[in-house]
Amino acid sequence: MAGVPKRILKEIERLHNDPAPGIDVTPVNDSIRYFQVVMAGPSQSPYQGGQFKLELFLPEDYPMSPPKVRFMTKMYHPNIDKLGRICLDILKDKWSPALQIRTVLLSIQALLSAPNPDDPLANDVAEQWKANEKRAIQTASEWTKKYAM
Amino acid sequence: MSDYGSDDFMLDDSEEGFEYSDSDGDGNGEGPLAEGGSATGTQPSQAQHTQTQTQGEYSADAAFDDDDDDYFMDDSGFEPVLSRRNQRKPWEVDFKVYAQDGLSAKQDAMVSRLEPLLALSKETTTLLLRCYFWKEEPLLEGLLTDREGTLAKVGLPEHPPSPRIETGNDAFVCEICYCGGGDERYLTLWCGHRFCSDCYRTYIASKAQEGESWRIRCAAPKCKTLVGLEPARLVLAGDAAALARYEENLTRSFVNDLDTFAWCPAPNCEYAIECQVPRSAWATTIPTVRCQCGKAFCFGCKLDDHTPAPCYLVDWWAQKCHDDSETSNWIKANTKECIKCKSTIEKNGGCNHMTCRDCRHEFCWVCMGPWSEHGQSYYSCNRFDEDSSKNARDSVSKSRAMLERYLHYFTRYNNHEQSARLARRLLAATEKNMEQIQREHTLSWIEVQFLSEAVDVLSMCRSTLKWSYVLGYYMLSDNQKIIFEDNQSDLEMATEQLNELVENPISEDGPSIEEFKRIVIDKTTYVRTRWETILADIIAGLQENRWQFEAE
Repeated sequence: MAGVPKRILKEIERLHNDPAPGIDVTPVNDSIRYFQVVMAGPSQSPYQGGQFKLELFLPEDYPMSPPKVRFMTKMYHPNIDKLGRICLDILKDKWSPALQIRTVLLSIQALLSAPNPDDPLANDVAEQWKANEKRAIQTASEWTKKYAM
Repeated sequence: MSDYGSDDFMLDDSEEGFEYSDSDGDGNGEGPLAEGGSATGTQPSQAQHTQTQTQGEYSADAAFDDDDDDYFMDDSGFEPVLSRRNQRKPWEVDFKVYAQDGLSAKQDAMVSRLEPLLALSKETTTLLLRCYFWKEEPLLEGLLTDREGTLAKVGLPEHPPSPRIETGNDAFVCEICYCGGGDERYLTLWCGHRFCSDCYRTYIASKAQEGESWRIRCAAPKCKTLVGLEPARLVLAGDAAALARYEENLTRSFVNDLDTFAWCPAPNCEYAIECQVPRSAWATTIPTVRCQCGKAFCFGCKLDDHTPAPCYLVDWWAQKCHDDSETSNWIKANTKECIKCKSTIEKNGGCNHMTCRDCRHEFCWVCMGPWSEHGQSYYSCNRFDEDSSKNARDSVSKSRAMLERYLHYFTRYNNHEQSARLARRLLAATEKNMEQIQREHTLSWIEVQFLSEAVDVLSMCRSTLKWSYVLGYYMLSDNQKIIFEDNQSDLEMATEQLNELVENPISEDGPSIEEFKRIVIDKTTYVRTRWETILADIIAGLQENRWQFEAE
């Protein structure tokens, strides 16, 4: 386990020197385990133009268990619930210790571009998404304007 | 009971026993697949890893060549008695108890048996077997029709190279801890992904902590290759606790994945039981097994021994009792039902003119007839014999009768359960009594065993009687049921008599100790015989569909 804090430091360094486009990661209170993230809504999506806040926490046994990530900004998305919890396989059973903060955040960004209403976390949103996608996308875009700009 | 070792007449017994299990259609006659190292003995011994048992009696299918016992052959007088004692009873099933090391041996035996047949490495065979839940036939079929596809399933080649921990690669950087360089020790899985051995150890140890074992996959994202047992053991070599955990999970998954194996449900018990009675036979056979720790349970539903009621009746009954038993007594005593909608109504004051809150039906509380026909005679009902009120009472009494019927069976079921609990207390008291009798009458320890034997028989009968009421409850009435109930009441009566005898063993003006002992032994023998007869009859009845059972 001796190498693990080193890994976190290295990740922070890499995120700093070579930030992922549209993703800004800031350590909170100089902690090496708790981060504030600001993610830009991907273009060509109802979240375009929005700035979404997330919190990211690296548990004690990271990277053996996945980081805990949660949206702090309210959003209308079938795989993100009212509390901002995210339904994403790599944050659960498909986690691999070779994944990183960067890959996790990129995956979340990809999830914003491609919602998956067949595996929903927020059931009401997913139903709306399936029944009337156009309308749902409109709502998502309205929410983005209201909460994320 | 097996002190006589095993003779030819015991060979007869075991043959009869196997015949029985084959008639179940479970193929038990062939015995478990790998007998290899497992010892089947005639003496109860902790040292043995596995023991074939039939209801606590150690089977006698080993050591037929025991010459010492030959003289028994001539002594034909013993023969029938002994063979009857060692014969498996019709309600018993074959099973085997395994300790931890016995389970490992069993797994190894299954793998080594198949390994040459498949012409695959031990590692691949093991993983394939596990992927197929240890079912050999579908595995062989899969390999014959699509060898490559089946192997791809486990993500292993036919003969994976032995895993090695390597060093001296300057270009190596571990993707998990970002350490690297020539000094870093790393492991390459055959899929090509390599991580440092420390990270692998932490990775596998943390998975093992979550209960995982052979299903652990390569640490690279999205890679489906199974790490495999050998590499896992290699990297865990430095961490004894994690390795033990990993091995334990392997065994755990073996027992959980096989339909014919189950853990003993007793708290902290580490034994597993193998029982070959198939699921399809559970309706007519009660697969009661007894663990080395003493726990008797049903292999089918894992609940406590419920002979002679089959699992599905126990399930119905449990639901029924869960829903009803507590409240039904009160309902019976304090309420009536609306004739129209069957809502349960408690009359908590007021006159006899009732209006059902649910269906607004108006009726008279006394005669249960419709209120509209009561005309002027409010407050005093004299309409008892009118047709309409009679019909109303009939329908109500019908549903009350059902409730009463349930309570009839439940009270008796419950009574035997409580008596069984008391019997356990009685056992403690009996031990004291035995000591007392020993002291007062200068008898040896063995001479007072008759008392504890009586209590044992008592407990068995209580349990059987208890569950026989569940059978009775769901059994449709016909002549066969009358015979069943006659048998039941015979056993019940005898059991109560024995109970009374044992509870008040010695009194000043009672019979002498010799006389008392004779009476108890006689009664015990009688009760035991009744018990055996009834159990055998019930099992035979279940198997020949003598009774019809109906859910409500």
